[in-house]
Amino acid sequence: MEHQITRKLDLCKDDYLLEVIAPKVAERFRPGNFVILITVPNGERIPMSVQKAEKGKIAMFIKRLGKTSYELDSFKVGDSLVAVIGPLGNPPPMKKYGNIIFASDLVCGHAENYAFCQGLKSIGGNYVISLQTFPTKSEVYPEEFRPVHLCDEYYLTTLDGTEGAKGHYIEVLKSLLEEKKIDIIFAGGDIPNLQKLAELTRSYQIPTIVTVRQIMVDGTGMCGSCRVFVDGEMKLTCIDGPMFDAHRLNFQDIINRLSMFKQREEQALKEYLRKKGEV
Amino acid sequence: MAKGGKAKKKRVPMREQDVKVRIHNFRSVPLGYSEEEVIKEAERCLQCKNPKCELNCPVNLKIRDTLQSIIERDFEKAFFVAKEDNPIPAITGRVCPQEDQCEGACVVGKVGDAINIGKLIAFVADWAREKGIEEEVKIYERPEKVAVIGSGPAGICCANDLRKAGFQVIIFEALHLPGGVLTYGIPAFRLPKDVVNYELDFIQKMGVKIQLNTIVGQNVSFGELQKEFDAIFIGTGAGAPIFMGIEGEKLMGVYSANEFLIRVNLMRAYEFPEWDTPIVCGERVGVIGAGNVAMDSARSALRLGAKEVHILYRRTKQYSPARAEELTHALEEGIIFHELVNPVRILGDDKGWVKGIELVRMELGEPDASGRPRPQPIKGSEFTMELDTVIEALGTRPNRLFLSRAEGLDIYPWGGIKADENMMTNIEGVFVGGDAVSGAATVIRALGDGRKAAQAIYNYLSTKH
Repeated sequence: MEHQITRKLDLCKDDYLLEVIAPKVAERFRPGNFVILITVPNGERIPMSVQKAEKGKIAMFIKRLGKTSYELDSFKVGDSLVAVIGPLGNPPPMKKYGNIIFASDLVCGHAENYAFCQGLKSIGGNYVISLQTFPTKSEVYPEEFRPVHLCDEYYLTTLDGTEGAKGHYIEVLKSLLEEKKIDIIFAGGDIPNLQKLAELTRSYQIPTIVTVRQIMVDGTGMCGSCRVFVDGEMKLTCIDGPMFDAHRLNFQDIINRLSMFKQREEQALKEYLRKKGEV
Repeated sequence: MAKGGKAKKKRVPMREQDVKVRIHNFRSVPLGYSEEEVIKEAERCLQCKNPKCELNCPVNLKIRDTLQSIIERDFEKAFFVAKEDNPIPAITGRVCPQEDQCEGACVVGKVGDAINIGKLIAFVADWAREKGIEEEVKIYERPEKVAVIGSGPAGICCANDLRKAGFQVIIFEALHLPGGVLTYGIPAFRLPKDVVNYELDFIQKMGVKIQLNTIVGQNVSFGELQKEFDAIFIGTGAGAPIFMGIEGEKLMGVYSANEFLIRVNLMRAYEFPEWDTPIVCGERVGVIGAGNVAMDSARSALRLGAKEVHILYRRTKQYSPARAEELTHALEEGIIFHELVNPVRILGDDKGWVKGIELVRMELGEPDASGRPRPQPIKGSEFTMELDTVIEALGTRPNRLFLSRAEGLDIYPWGGIKADENMMTNIEGVFVGGDAVSGAATVIRALGDGRKAAQAIYNYLSTKH
């Protein structure tokens, strides 16, 4: 049955994997695409990154963060979502780039990291290096959900050094850039860290493409909520992105606008948890 | 002819929700005529031999005969007459700019109030809906498949006519609810959603299939549709917002009217947190523009709890493109109308939120292409206004997502799709209508286009085989 959950498991304390039946989405998905989920009839439309799309199913990594992701976490295998819409967005081409790095430090970025490693390795002539950062050992995803065996080189870091190298992927990246000729860098995850990444790679003049998270409503270019500014020009994350040239992107605007509904989001979550407690 | 031989000059007043009550809810403002009232209003009609109202209607609706049936108290007949040329009278009766069309040409209007044609048409459609009276449709099936892209007014009308002609019709809708602008754009206080849903249910009952969440050009390709269907109708509308391009549009608290209204109408943000989608509407709201969408945004903001809502318009009230009724309702509700001002930039605080707007005063110069005097800024007249929410209602344009993926389709530089006199595009078998051709216009024009295209598709498919 369409939009039925076929697999769900915890990746770590706050993140979980959700796999749903969505044959039309799976058939057309390319790395860099995203989907929009509607979980309940009164629900919002939430954009989501995809880790894997095959055999009529798509898998997503989701963080328990707001009301919708908490509520979705209460769904079980066999339950169905109201809608899985996509694939959306205008992803970069899967082609021969040469030496490629994909770096990620947050749930959505980790999903993209996996999808890109898989996609880029399926094309000859690409050497793919994957970098992933998790806060601590206990929050490192199981190996099956990391692109360890999909890429040519894999680096894991934890912020506290309990597994892999200590620190953020940026540190590893610095030394890689000194050692190797890198042709392009892709990255996804925490926006302030993407800004730091952009500053670093700018000095090396290496093309850097990052995935932008921005608040969306329709996801089809109708509302303008997800507008970002590329060299001062307005672009829409939903139809022009979600991946943009990091060296031309105004990150501060993105960070600001992401907090526009913060108070409401907190209110919705509080309300949901309170009601759930009562039931 | 009206009883007594002389038309009564005054309209039978429409009962409306009290201003103090309605600014706190999204229910319909007009409460509708009673049967007695509707007859009394219809009796003012002179039943002209050559009804100017019909000539001035974009779809030449049989207004005179509809009103005659109302006078005869035969509401059922009135409904069927109204339906002949207009599949959605309950909707157009509510949203047409009647004062520029039928009512604008009404002879009675020369000596008094024009006949309240919009409300009379809406009445008969509402009456039939409430009584469960609907057209009996006998469909003689034909094998040809037609794809309709977009479930707004143009798509609804085209699909309706094509299905009645026996074609297999599938509507592809990008959003999770059908109706296009009727659903995501026009607020319920002006167009109740049950009215829209009734019409959508009706075409589906006839056998039109609506495939939701399907974005042509994105998750199904235009080429695939061309292969799979015998003809295509593009009714993709003008759903993309236009921003002014001034400083400060990145600020939090700045919305396109489209975003504001999509949150309110499609996502029901006014029922947050029962409905998940939030909206942040401040206490002092500025709406840039003075068309219907600006009025809808302003009045929605008021209903979301804004204390002051300011319309900021570069011309004067008389040049506002809004329907007269919307302007009247907005002013009754306490919307503050600022004439002859134009935004220069939006001002923000150190946290990235809107704190005001800088405006420049305007004066009216020579007429421009629209025939209205061109507003020109008065140098040195800049001033600021404190605001915490800014809504840009400057109009919309066709969505470039579809256009950029519709290979081979001839379009104008501004994004409108080129069509011949039969609504056919440069691609054989692909037809178009509504705002996708004209840019943001009216429901009734979209409806007329949809109908015309359906006829052209019928001719095309009938001669092809």
